[in-house]
Amino acid sequence: MSVSPGRSAGGTAVADRSPSPEAVPSLSITGLRKSFPGRTVLAGLDLRIPARGLVAVLGANGSGKSTALRCVVGLEQPDGGSIRLHGEEIVGLSGRELARRRSRAAMIFQKIHLVQRRTVLDNVCAGALGRLPLRHSLVPALFPRELREEAMECLHRVGLADRAGDTVGRLSGGQQQRVAVARALCQRADVVLADEPVAALDPAAATQVLELLSDLARGQGLAVAAVLHQPELARRYADRVVGLARGRLAFDTAPEHLSERDLDDLYAAGEGAS
Amino acid sequence: MTWDTRGPAAGDPFTPDRGSGLAAVAAGNPGERRGAVPGPPPRRRSPSALGAAVVTVLVALHVLAWQGTGFSPADLVRGWRGMADFIGEAIPPDLSWPVLGPGIQAALVTLYIGLLGTTFSVPFALVLAVLGARTTAPNRWIYQAARSLLSFLRAVPDVVFALIFVTAVGLGPFAGVLALIFHNTGVMGKLWSEAMEEIDLGPRDALRTNGAGGVQVVAHAILPAVVPQFIGLLLYRFDVNVRSSLVLGLVGAGGIGFLVNQSIKLFRFDQMATHLLIVLVLVIGVDLLSAAVRRRITV
Repeated sequence: MSVSPGRSAGGTAVADRSPSPEAVPSLSITGLRKSFPGRTVLAGLDLRIPARGLVAVLGANGSGKSTALRCVVGLEQPDGGSIRLHGEEIVGLSGRELARRRSRAAMIFQKIHLVQRRTVLDNVCAGALGRLPLRHSLVPALFPRELREEAMECLHRVGLADRAGDTVGRLSGGQQQRVAVARALCQRADVVLADEPVAALDPAAATQVLELLSDLARGQGLAVAAVLHQPELARRYADRVVGLARGRLAFDTAPEHLSERDLDDLYAAGEGAS
Repeated sequence: MTWDTRGPAAGDPFTPDRGSGLAAVAAGNPGERRGAVPGPPPRRRSPSALGAAVVTVLVALHVLAWQGTGFSPADLVRGWRGMADFIGEAIPPDLSWPVLGPGIQAALVTLYIGLLGTTFSVPFALVLAVLGARTTAPNRWIYQAARSLLSFLRAVPDVVFALIFVTAVGLGPFAGVLALIFHNTGVMGKLWSEAMEEIDLGPRDALRTNGAGGVQVVAHAILPAVVPQFIGLLLYRFDVNVRSSLVLGLVGAGGIGFLVNQSIKLFRFDQMATHLLIVLVLVIGVDLLSAAVRRRITV
C-alpha cells in the first residue's frame, strides 16, 4: 500500500508545496440554503474546502452535513446560495456545462454503493462513464483499453491492484470503500466528498480508509471533505476541522485548536434542534 | 426466545448500564430498560366497524357470484354419467404410433411457440420496463405512457391476440408466436419494472454523481443488480407461455392444443387422452428445467 501512516510530515507539506491554498479554494459554498417540507436543513451555510488537504466535517445528526455534500454533487437541488468548484459557479446551471464543471467533484458514501456483482475493475472504470460515449460504455466489455489501464493505476493508488479481477462482493467493507475511492480517482476528480466514509467500518478498516484519504489529500493534492462522527478521527487525520450546527457553519479551525467545548456546543446544538 | 421472560432483576447478565439499555432498545424490547417494571401487554384490538363492513361486502359478493355463475353442485352430481362415459372412452389412451408420433411433433411446435414468444418479447419488455419503472423513467409522462402500454398488453388475453393475428397471418403457429410476444411483453415488462423498483438506489445515485447518462446508469447500476431476478422471471414466463401456447392451439394457432381440440370434435377421447399425457410430460419437463435453472442463479 502506498498509504503513509500518521500526519507528521503532512502539516508542513500543506504550507510548503502549495504556496497559497487559500487563494482559490477547490470548493467554496456561500449562503447555501435547502429546506425539505417542514424543516430547514441548510440555513445559509458557508464552507470552504482548500485545494489540498483533508477537511473533517463534524456536526450532530440533522445539522446539514450530508445535505450540503449532496447539493454539491447534484443529488439534491439547493434552494439558494452559491457553490463554486475551482471558482466556477454551479448553482443555477444545467446540462452539459454543469456536468463538465461538476465532473471534478466525486462523492463516496457510507454505504459504499458499488455494484456488488461486477468486478472491482469494472466498478472503477464506471467512474469514467461521464466522459465516455455510449458506444464505449454500454457494457463493460466495451470499455477502452486506456481506461482499463487508467483504472488499474487508480486501484494501485488505493493499494488494491491485485484484487482487480475479483467481484466486489468478495471484498471486505474497508476494501470496498477503497475501491469506491479508486472509482472517484478514475473520474479524475480532484475534489472528493466523503459522506461518513468510515461509519460502517470496523476501527482497523476505518483507519486504513482515512489514512488513504489523508495521503491522497496531502501527497497527491486532492481536496477531501469527509463527514466524520468521531472527533478523535478528525483530530488525527484532518488538516482542518469544520463544525456544522442547524445548517450553518459553527466553527472552522485547525485540529489542534479543536476544543472539547467546541464539540460540546456542537452536539448540544444538534439535540436542541431535534 | 427467553427475552420476554427475563426481567430486570438482580443477577441479570445484562446489568442495567448504558450498553444494555441501548441493546434493549435496539432489540425493540423496552421492558429491558433500567428499573422499568413491564406493564401488562397491550390488549388486542377488537375488530373494527371497517373490518366488519369489509367481511359483509365480501360475503355479499360471493352470494352474487354464486347466483351469477349458476353454481350448482347438484347438477354436477346428476351429470355423473356423462363424466363417466367421457372418462370410460378416454381410458385406455390410444398410444399407437400414428397418434403418438404427430402428438409429440405438435408438442414440439407448442414448445417452439412458447420459446419464440418468450425470447422475442425480451427486447420490448426490457425497453418498456426501463421506461415504466419509477427508478429509471426519464420523466413522468414517459413513465405513464409506458405503464399504460404495458397495462393494455397485459389486459388483452393472449387468446384474443391469437384470434386477431390468425386473421392477419392465417391459422398456424406463427399467429401463436405473435400473440405470445404481445401479451408476454405486457406481463414481463410489468414484472421486470417492479424488480427494478425494489433495488437499492445507492449505486444509481453514485453513478449519477459522476456524470453518467440515463442509459449508462441503467446499464451499469440497475441491470447488474436485477439480472438474477430478470432471468428467474423470464424462466417463469417461459413456463407459463408454453402452457398458454396450448390454449392458443385451441383457437387455431397450431401446436398440440390444435390436436386436442380436433380429437374432441371427432369424439376420439382416447386420442385426446394421449395428447393430454404428452402435454403433461411437456409441462412437467419445462417446469423442472426452469426450477433447476432458477435454483442455480438465485444465489
